[in-house]
Amino acid sequence: MNFSKHYPMDQCITWTKISCLQPAFLLHIKSFHTGIEDGTWTPFNPATVRSILGMFDRENKGGVNFNEFTGVWKYISDWQNVFRTYDRDNSGMIDKNELKQALTGFGYRLSDQFYDILIRKFDRQGRGQVAFDDFIQCCVVLQRLTDVFRRYDTDQDGWIQVSYEQYLSMVFSIV
Amino acid sequence: MFDKTRSGRIDVYGFSALMRFIQQWKNLFQQYDRDQSGSISFNELQQGGPQFSQLLLARYAQRSSNPSIQLDRFIQICMQLQSTTDAFREKDTGLVGNVRLSYEDFLTMVVTRMM
Repeated sequence: MNFSKHYPMDQCITWTKISCLQPAFLLHIKSFHTGIEDGTWTPFNPATVRSILGMFDRENKGGVNFNEFTGVWKYISDWQNVFRTYDRDNSGMIDKNELKQALTGFGYRLSDQFYDILIRKFDRQGRGQVAFDDFIQCCVVLQRLTDVFRRYDTDQDGWIQVSYEQYLSMVFSIV
Repeated sequence: MFDKTRSGRIDVYGFSALMRFIQQWKNLFQQYDRDQSGSISFNELQQGGPQFSQLLLARYAQRSSNPSIQLDRFIQICMQLQSTTDAFREKDTGLVGNVRLSYEDFLTMVVTRMM
């Protein structure tokens, strides 16, 4: 989708421009990795790019300016540190066990089958493991879902009772 | 929605059902897009349609001086609405319009149907 006809391009980095910067992102990420360099470049998960820009775009411009972009960069660097911590075999990918450790480390208590669901859904490369950008996407989505659930779970017992319309609003507040 | 076997692929029947589905939504879209600009503006939205969809569409319009929704986004919203409803229906076996969900139920319902 081309956003450029809707937003002033001059001082604003739109997500399409970020997409063009993707090789730079990949270069930056790869420079942090000590792992396998197989020379295959996959574009950064566009949904992740969108979510991250959405977080830092303070005035709902549809893009970030330079100051906000430095925030984006730091955010991604922080995620790189997390990723590296849990990519214990330094493969450049996070497998199911590493993902379990990461999410358990963040405080999640999830069943084994649910991890299969997560890998299946977030692994865009189809290797049964999660790449860096997909890992961010997975964590961001989980966090959002948990926040929404918590709002409805007033007695904090891990259960909610919701109507159809409430359920719709819950889901649409996230997607 | 059209991948009945949850294999991550659709066969020719799934594909033709998908095409029909898109055509239906495209027709609906064209009903709203009166000036045939290729996108639905807020003015066109107000011309009619149930309140809830209007609210939804208002939330998803691209932000600009003239917010509007294009066909692909429109279809995405409608599909999300459909699959969210399916998810709820699956749990609401008694058809009471109310369900009790555990944390992981909720996560699974949403994650498995995310696009």
